[in-house]
Amino acid sequence: MRNILSWVGMALVYLIVIVIMLFPIYWLVITSLKPAYMAQTNPPVFFTPLLSAENYRALWNDPSIRGYFVNSLTVALGATGFSLLFGSLAAYSLSKSYLRFALRRAILLWVLLIRIFPPIVVGIPYFTLLHRFHLTDTQLGLMITHVAMTLPFVIWLLLGFFQDVPAELEKAAMLDGCSLVRRFSQIALPMVLPGLAVTAIFAFIISWNEYLFAAILTSFNAKTLPVAIATFIGERRLEWGAMSALGSLMLIPPAIFAFLGQHYIVRGLTFGAVKE
Amino acid sequence: MAIRPVASAVSGETPSGSRRRRGIDWNAPGRDRDLSLLMLAPAVFVLVFTNLLPVLESLQTSFYAYNLSIPNAIPTFLGLDNYVRLLSDDAFLSSFRTTLVFVTISVTLELIIGIALGLLITGNSPLVGVLRVVLLLSFIMAPVAAGVLWRTLYNVSWGPINYFIELLGFPRQEFLASTVQALGAVIAVEVWQQVPPVAFVVAAGITSIPTDIYRAASADGARAWKQFWWITLPLVRPVIFVVLILRTMDAFKVFDIVATLTQGGPASATKLLSYMIWERGLRFLDIGYASAMSWLFLLVVFAISLVFIRALDRARAGAEGEA
Repeated sequence: MRNILSWVGMALVYLIVIVIMLFPIYWLVITSLKPAYMAQTNPPVFFTPLLSAENYRALWNDPSIRGYFVNSLTVALGATGFSLLFGSLAAYSLSKSYLRFALRRAILLWVLLIRIFPPIVVGIPYFTLLHRFHLTDTQLGLMITHVAMTLPFVIWLLLGFFQDVPAELEKAAMLDGCSLVRRFSQIALPMVLPGLAVTAIFAFIISWNEYLFAAILTSFNAKTLPVAIATFIGERRLEWGAMSALGSLMLIPPAIFAFLGQHYIVRGLTFGAVKE
Repeated sequence: MAIRPVASAVSGETPSGSRRRRGIDWNAPGRDRDLSLLMLAPAVFVLVFTNLLPVLESLQTSFYAYNLSIPNAIPTFLGLDNYVRLLSDDAFLSSFRTTLVFVTISVTLELIIGIALGLLITGNSPLVGVLRVVLLLSFIMAPVAAGVLWRTLYNVSWGPINYFIELLGFPRQEFLASTVQALGAVIAVEVWQQVPPVAFVVAAGITSIPTDIYRAASADGARAWKQFWWITLPLVRPVIFVVLILRTMDAFKVFDIVATLTQGGPASATKLLSYMIWERGLRFLDIGYASAMSWLFLLVVFAISLVFIRALDRARAGAEGEA
């Protein structure tokens, strides 16, 4: 009897926590599916069988939203690709002892310090620098600033994965006369493939959700979805339904990726400091 | 960044000769080091251009009076004047205080709730899987989107939160429109989004504790809360410390949720430093003064982070000494 009671008690605790944490997201999704006249009522409509996709259809038919979606996707994929390319090369190089310890340490420390920088500190110089290079409001310009954010992250995360590769494997290849480049591309890289996938997921989510740089550096041509949803506050104040639909859609790609990569999430969260 | 060109690093070393083929000898002594440098170069190049140079540019700008909203403005050198002005600028100092309050309360709540949730998601209930997915969702939502979403939740006349408050017999609250409540309301959103990472990391720390320790403790008659206090907490302390550092660094950066929840208002009640610097530099285009603000901001964040990181190092060294 006591066991059943404590089991019910624990189940109740779990349910309460789940309801509290989930309710905001449920509210976002249900608001996006409600007919417009139910969006702002008191008492609020918590559930209705009259679900409608009108908000989603409106977004789909809005060519500017489609453009923002393409921008978000291009910038996120590009930033992920570039930071993974540069980051895996650098991380591999830093995981070996061919370079002097002091140099490797200094670079890793610098990369760690970049992680501390509040983005607004570089945001202002980015604004003037991109202007100087005629990159304001371009996908490329925004992509570069996103690589600046994701690259330190990628380097630290991959460093840990490369260090996990058994040294014997490479030693054997070295004795067979494999050059460093071949040891990297044919031995180490295939071994850290899961690590690369997880790192890519994190980099993608960081870029996909990024708002500050996108708000500063884009206005029309390269505007991304986070900037678009923020403008619902200023310009489209009463369209809560469309806003919620956009918010729900924005959640889908990171949700899928995070679900796929959840096994390694702790490593990503702690910059590689804590391994599962 | 001093990266020696590959050629000069090789010169003076004789090729091993044994396996020399036409063109590049991939196995010459020192070749691994040269290739290592070459592999490092692109990343370093990118970081120099996207981080080092912009930050130095910002430092330089901070010594000038430079306002882009004035047509054909020419930067005039001020020396340290911007910084001196900042130290007696009430708006800046109050934003600084707001930021410290925000960071302290957010991170404290995130740690306390995160540790509790960490215990929950290492339990063996069938609901653990559900809870993990739910936690993942709130955490990966774009903070701007979370800000917009919570605006609807907080709404005075039709928001669900006020509906429940009224249901419980309390008067409706203004939340975002109240100078007293707004900062708390922003903190709640930040905590809702950032408790999950703390919980995940703490849970990883807990699962790495060998189970025989608990078995031995149970055999000795230690109750659950005593096991938590004397076994779990001390053993996950290093992990909690890492999270504390990362959460503190990130809490200082918060901009997005303020931009969509309150725009710093009402009456600057939620004007965090990132938002204040953005407003000054990129809305009023007073980039000289804003750069000085961002440099003071950077120094403070660095100082706090370094204190924490050194404390972590000491704790680690201590833990290794004990072991």
